[in-house]
Amino acid sequence: MLALAPDEPSRRAAGRLTGPGHWSGTGAAGLVAWGRFAGSGQAPYQTVIDLSGPAYACSCPSRKFPCKHALALLLDWAGGATPEAGQPADFARSWVAGRAARAARAAQPADAAGPDAPPGPGAEARPGAEAGQRAAQRRAGQRQARVAAGLAELETWLRDQVRAGLSGTSGYRHAEQVAARMVDAQAPGVAGTLRGLSGVAGAGDGWPGQLLGEYARLHLLIRAHDRLDELPDGLAAAVRSHVGYPVARQDVRAGPAVSDRWLVLGVRDVLDGTVPARRILLRGQRTSRPALLLSFDPRGAFAGDPDAALRPGMAIEADAHFYPGQPALRALIGSRRGEPGPAAAPAPAGGVGRLLDDWAAALALDPWLTSWPALLSGVPAPAGDGWQLADPGGHAVPLRVSGSDIWSLVAVSGGHPVTVAGEWTDDGLRPLTVWHGDQAVAL
Amino acid sequence: MSAPLGYDDLVTAATVGTGRGSLILGPPAPGSPAPGSAAPGSAAPGSLAGPAGAHAAVLDAADPAAALLDAAALLTSARRAGRRAAAAVLPDPAPPNAAPELSAGACAVLGYALRDRDLLLLADLLTAAAAAGFRAAAPILPSLLDAAARDSALCPAVGAVLGERGRWLAAHRPEWQRVADSPRPARPEAADLAETAVWLTGCRAERRDWLAAQRQREPGRARELLAAGWSRETGDDRAELLQTLAAGLSAADERFLEDALDDRKGQVRQVAAGLLAALPESAFVRRAIDRGAGTLRVERRGVRPELAVILPEPGDGAAARDGIAAAPPASAIGAGAWRLTQFIAAVPLAEWTARLGLAPTALAALPVAGGFRADVHAGWRLAAVGQRDEAWAAALLDADGDDPPDRPPAAWPGAAQLAAVLPAQRRLAWASELLASRGPSRESVAALAACPGPWPASVADAVLAHFGAAVAVGATRAGRDAMLLAPVAARKLPAEGSRDYAAELRALAGTQTIDDGLAGKLRRAADAVARRRYFLRELH
Repeated sequence: MLALAPDEPSRRAAGRLTGPGHWSGTGAAGLVAWGRFAGSGQAPYQTVIDLSGPAYACSCPSRKFPCKHALALLLDWAGGATPEAGQPADFARSWVAGRAARAARAAQPADAAGPDAPPGPGAEARPGAEAGQRAAQRRAGQRQARVAAGLAELETWLRDQVRAGLSGTSGYRHAEQVAARMVDAQAPGVAGTLRGLSGVAGAGDGWPGQLLGEYARLHLLIRAHDRLDELPDGLAAAVRSHVGYPVARQDVRAGPAVSDRWLVLGVRDVLDGTVPARRILLRGQRTSRPALLLSFDPRGAFAGDPDAALRPGMAIEADAHFYPGQPALRALIGSRRGEPGPAAAPAPAGGVGRLLDDWAAALALDPWLTSWPALLSGVPAPAGDGWQLADPGGHAVPLRVSGSDIWSLVAVSGGHPVTVAGEWTDDGLRPLTVWHGDQAVAL
Repeated sequence: MSAPLGYDDLVTAATVGTGRGSLILGPPAPGSPAPGSAAPGSAAPGSLAGPAGAHAAVLDAADPAAALLDAAALLTSARRAGRRAAAAVLPDPAPPNAAPELSAGACAVLGYALRDRDLLLLADLLTAAAAAGFRAAAPILPSLLDAAARDSALCPAVGAVLGERGRWLAAHRPEWQRVADSPRPARPEAADLAETAVWLTGCRAERRDWLAAQRQREPGRARELLAAGWSRETGDDRAELLQTLAAGLSAADERFLEDALDDRKGQVRQVAAGLLAALPESAFVRRAIDRGAGTLRVERRGVRPELAVILPEPGDGAAARDGIAAAPPASAIGAGAWRLTQFIAAVPLAEWTARLGLAPTALAALPVAGGFRADVHAGWRLAAVGQRDEAWAAALLDADGDDPPDRPPAAWPGAAQLAAVLPAQRRLAWASELLASRGPSRESVAALAACPGPWPASVADAVLAHFGAAVAVGATRAGRDAMLLAPVAARKLPAEGSRDYAAELRALAGTQTIDDGLAGKLRRAADAVARRRYFLRELH
């Protein structure tokens, strides 16, 4: 939080200005907080902060931005010292409304995050001001139009690629330019997919087939987006999520809760662009539903997110709220009933056949899926240069592991079937956890 | 109409480019030529293979590129959703384990030792686990095998806890296999003498065990078998197999060993010399006595006797053949002085007491004329270690004290090496005396480290008292010296019983006056003791 301070003195000064002795009339509504600071002047300074920006306003004469008063208010707010209020104070409301109106006029800055990114600045609904809500609706309409225009350009580009022939595709980052265009068009999910193609062209034997498959799926996404309003809700939501429309966490939390004891199947840390992200796979012990939590932490410590502390093999009794989309997978943890605790190994799951059936069923609902949670029983076995997971029925899928990552799994298995959780992808099963008795071993 | 188009057909068309009109795709339009196909006389649009064929109506009619992307979307979705399983090739499973597995908590302690690269602690823990009949749990096996593959000193300890699962796993990687069958002690009881094929075709370790078993039963026959195939063995095999003659060694082996002194491989010559030195009647020992016994003489100058030295002449080829090296191991040691040291080292120690008429303690206490004290004592120290002579080791430890000359270990076996010759009780008594008289120094700490743990309460108390003294004086020489002792205390302080030494170390580390470096060392030692305590409890 103090990283927002313009310099060290401001940081130190802000720390001294917190607390009720200096402030009056403080309050917070949603992501807006305000207060009056008794400074050296006659009239108190009026300070407002909007964390969705973040943006700050203060009537003090300081030329630093944010000023120490805004920082102090931020610290108080972060410490929970700012009381929740239904309506912002007048001076705060007029500032928020003014900002919303300006935002509606000006083009929104590009949302550079990936499809699974935390909701961007425009995503959280502004509480209070009606003007803000109207502006948000208008923005949503503008966004869809902007996305549609961007996708139309991408469609032209895709057809040009196929018309001219993939053999002409050259360069490690051949799709970088059009990806940047998709960022401008507020389709970060598409931009991420395009950037992911950087290494495909010219790599390995089957690259034209792989590239064509990726192009075809983007093409399919564009055709679906063209008819977004005609699509069934679930499919439309899937399309929106792959394009990269943001969804506000509070809207997800407001949706229905799935109450269960959620077992953590696996945890994987990835980089989303440059932002550290943690993928946490859950499985409801009563409902058998899969769920995926995503935690983002630009600072890399995941310190603020209790869900990010979940480790494989733990279970927690809690409400899960699923994001819109089909099949439902990404979720948030709502209210918890108790702390996460150790759990027994999941019941012996199906084999390879069941995994592939699940995958086909999931693809039927969302053909753009790139991975799906897997829980199955099998034996890791060498196959050619790599490894496969073979079930006792004689069916096998490739294991997607690099170098030394395979050995814990092999050691625990000892050539016997073990329960493995992971992510199924087109390239094979990426194992995340294996159970050694009731002990979950992260791979 | 041609055969239905598959995904590979689309890839071919897309690779070349639809601009060349190589592939016609579009919704089936009965009777009319496909729209968008400008080429005259073009064929009817191709249909799509598999389930995608039913959806051909959605293909874009206006643009061949779009139609191809449509078709590719259909076929790639069908392909992904229709993914088939591969045929499984099941591996040979590991045989069931007889020994119980270490608990997850105990393995977590091993994990800490691995993470901290505390290999001595790791080896202690693994040895204790093996002695209690446990084997390592499967999840930690890869890390243990990796650690032992990097540092061969860990091999025996890791090898002892592998169990069936670990040996099965080790077979997957050559560097792990080397850990699994490296320097385990020979197990003659494991060999079946009736299986002569083992001797002819087994791996080195199997053949060694077999030969050792043969040696136990018929020593002469074992030697004859070894001699019969000697010229066909590799150098490493010769060295390893020759060592089995140490058991049941007798004068009958001398001839064969004499011949081995001329071996091409230095290691074989070394083993042969070592075995011959253990045969008191051998020509090898007589040669050593002839060369070395004359170099020392007791002379009385006034009332005080002293040891006079006659520097030996440069050795001939025979001396080199008997393992006398020409080059000193350090440039500060002169060639003649080094010869003196080696000649003395080769003489059986009993020879000195017999010839000079004095007991080891008296000889070791004598002043040495001509500034050769370090060279003479170095020879005796080498001999005491090589001949495992308790009386001499104790005498030299007393006489040489805690002030080692600046020499490499090859020219001056350290106090710890000498102490290792003493029986455990005596070694510990000597080490704690050394600690009491000198405080924690390089020598006294090494001596304590060479004693088996856990320490009795008296030694533990003495060590804690040194920490207490060092803690009180802050960042001083004494504080720094105490730091040397901390890692040894971490391994040797008792971790079982009523006294909690971890807590005592932590209390010391929390003292106000303590130097930061020492505080850190003591806290780490406290953690290690606490982890050992936990680990040992898990073994019950």
